[in-house]
Order: sequence, then structure tokens, then C-alpha cells
Amino acid sequence: MIDKNVSLWRDRGILPLVQVLPLLAILMTGVAMPTSNAIAASPNWSPKISERLIKLPSVHLKRAIDSDFKDSTLANAIGDTADEVSAKTKTVSELKEAMERAEGSLATELRHQALVEKQNLIKLMGTRQDLKKKHLKTKVRLYKRLLRKANNKTGVQNASSAELKENQAKARNRFKRTLTDVDMKLFRSSTTTESKYSKDYIKNSSAIDRLASAINSHPMNSLPEIDGRVVGKADFLRQLVAGAESELAILNQEESILGYMAKLVALDAMALSEGLDAENFNEEIEGDESRTGASDKIDLFVS
Amino acid sequence: MLHKIIKTTALSGALLFSISIAQAGSLENLERERAIAIETMLSPSLKAEERLDRAMISKRRLVDLERMVIRDKKLAQNNTPIVRTAFENYNLTFLVHASTEANKTLLDHWLEEIGVSTHSLGTARIGRR
Repeated sequence: MIDKNVSLWRDRGILPLVQVLPLLAILMTGVAMPTSNAIAASPNWSPKISERLIKLPSVHLKRAIDSDFKDSTLANAIGDTADEVSAKTKTVSELKEAMERAEGSLATELRHQALVEKQNLIKLMGTRQDLKKKHLKTKVRLYKRLLRKANNKTGVQNASSAELKENQAKARNRFKRTLTDVDMKLFRSSTTTESKYSKDYIKNSSAIDRLASAINSHPMNSLPEIDGRVVGKADFLRQLVAGAESELAILNQEESILGYMAKLVALDAMALSEGLDAENFNEEIEGDESRTGASDKIDLFVS
Repeated sequence: MLHKIIKTTALSGALLFSISIAQAGSLENLERERAIAIETMLSPSLKAEERLDRAMISKRRLVDLERMVIRDKKLAQNNTPIVRTAFENYNLTFLVHASTEANKTLLDHWLEEIGVSTHSLGTARIGRR
């Protein structure tokens, strides 16, 4: 009986499908499992926090990180997987169109092929999601470290540093008030002339002021904005962390979509398998009934 | 040949290290010049005219050095006891500017800041410690 079924499935091209069914069953339990194993030895992106990166203006910071990622093997892998996914999507849609036109055993064969391709597509999408997740997690970690460093540099300081800064500010203010007095008393009222340092300082100072104003008004030096409001580096980094984390949340949601897709493919495979079983079973029943119908035998018992 | 190169590299490295050690900060330079200025003003071996000339030169140098210290942005990140003490005692650190502000001579201002005034000297008694 089993041998008969196997030969029948082979004739109709269903045997590969039967072999694929256990795989589909695994798919029903979750798509992340096989892909994460595949990622274990996968491409990587390990950005380094250099002093240059910390000192970069906020707008350039994001650009520098993105460009560093673009050069990584992880970015290449994501790009390659995206290409494969689009190619596979095209294949599945072509198979679907062909399936609508086909009839009989060809239609069954096409259904089988479509299921296999769908399974591969789900696997690829899972791989792409894992790679994307890896990228986003690294990005979040990087932004958080940068945020910590930015906070260390600006906001967070101990009491003695704060006191020193306060004393320096007070000294500067007091100093400013006496600058002219000292110049008047020391240089103007006597034969002594201004020192070379004083002259050069004034000259350089005006040059620095001009350059600083040019830098401040330069379009490439514009401060980052959130909702049209200019924000500081720490706020900008917090925004980047929030953005990357929201992308991660969306990816997690998409993972459940993939799970549902896998379940649907598994159900389709089961439907295909059961449909063929029922067809075979009906054929056998019909054959047996024609030969040994119970109603035909009643006459044997009734005289 | 290789031995020579290694020797030269080691020497140049040591030279670079010694240069970086020898580089003093603006505050250290100011303190050195201030010490010289005070020493000149208190030196009993100098004649009055000579003392005045030297004090004037020191004062000019001190003006520049005080301005260098107040404009030195690196000091804000250098939270050491020397820097903290310097900014806690404005009147002694920025001697020329503080004395001008107080409308006093450099020596008078310094003596007053360390607690020696004409009155305290007048009421002082000679005795054994």
C-alpha cells in the first residue's frame, strides 16, 4: 500500500514535497531559529569610538557612522540579501502566475515549487532581518557609548571642577575690568611700549573672531534640529538612540509577520499533501467498490 | 647599521620625551616670573634705581604672563591643586592687575596680601622665637 503511494507520488512529482514537509513543520515553530545559527559566522560591523568621532559636530557624526557602516562586511551582506530577497520574490510571483494558468499534475508540481520557493524566501527574509537587527543593535550600543562620553565631557563634573570653573569665570570677569587700566597706567603713561605678545594677540584675536563668525555661519556647521528646534549633541544622540530602538521594535514586529507567513506556507503544504492523499484514497475506494461492493454481496445471503 | 638606526631612534625618542617634560605651562611661567619680581623688589643688594628698572621689566613680563594664564583654556581641564590655588587667590596670582585695581604699588599690594602692613611693621617688637 505504502509502496503504491510512494510510486504514485513520484509519478506526480509530489515526493520532494513530502520530503520538504518536516522542514515546513520546523518553520511553523519559528523562523528565527535556523537563521540565527547561520548568522553565527556571519559578517560583522564593529565601529570604534575614536577621539575624532567624539569631537565631530552632531550632523557629521551620524554621517561618519553611516559611512563607516557602508564600508563594513555587514552592510554588504545586508545589500546582497536584499537583492536575493527581491529575486526570490520575483520567482514566487512568477510561479503564482504560472500556477493560475496550469492544470492537473503541472499545477500540483507548480504548487509544490511555489511552496519550496516561499520557504526559501522566508528564510532569506529572516536572514536579512537578523542582519538588520545586528546592525541596529550595534548602532544603539555605539550611540549610547557616545552619549555617555558626551555627558562625561559636558554635564557631569565633580564639585571641585565646578568650583574651579566658577573661580576662573570670576577671575576673567575681574580681569576684564582692569585690562584697560593696566594698559593705561603701564604703557600709555610711560615710555614703555606695548609688548610683542599684546600686539600679536590683538592681531590674532581679530583674525580668530572673523574665522569663528565664518565657521558659525557656514551651512555645513549648522546645528542639528529636531522638529525644527536646534538641539545639543546629547539631545541629538538621544534622538538617534530612540530612532534606532524604534527600528528594532518594528523589526521584532516584522519577525512575527514572518512567523505567520511560515505557518501559512506549512498549512498550504499540509493542504496540498492532504488533497493529494484524499484524491488517491478516493481513487482506491472507487476501484475497490466497483470490484467488491457490499451491496452486491447481499444477494449471497438473501435467497 | 641596524644597531645605529636603533640607537638614533632611541636617542631621538629620549630627546622628544625630555622636550615634553621641559615644556612648562602658562601658570608655572607666571609663578616663576612673580617669584623673580618679588625677589628683585626685596633684594637688599640692589640700588634703588636698579631695583626700579628691574621691577619695571618684571612688571611688563608679568602683565603678559597674567594675560596668558587668564586666556589659557587648557587650565579649565587641568584640575590640579596648583591651578585651584591660583584661581582661589586672585590677588596673589594676578599681582599686577590686582594691584592696579587696588590702586597700590606692586610691593605694597603683595605685602598686604601676605599680611604685612605698615601698621603691623610699626607695632612689631624684636624678640626671640
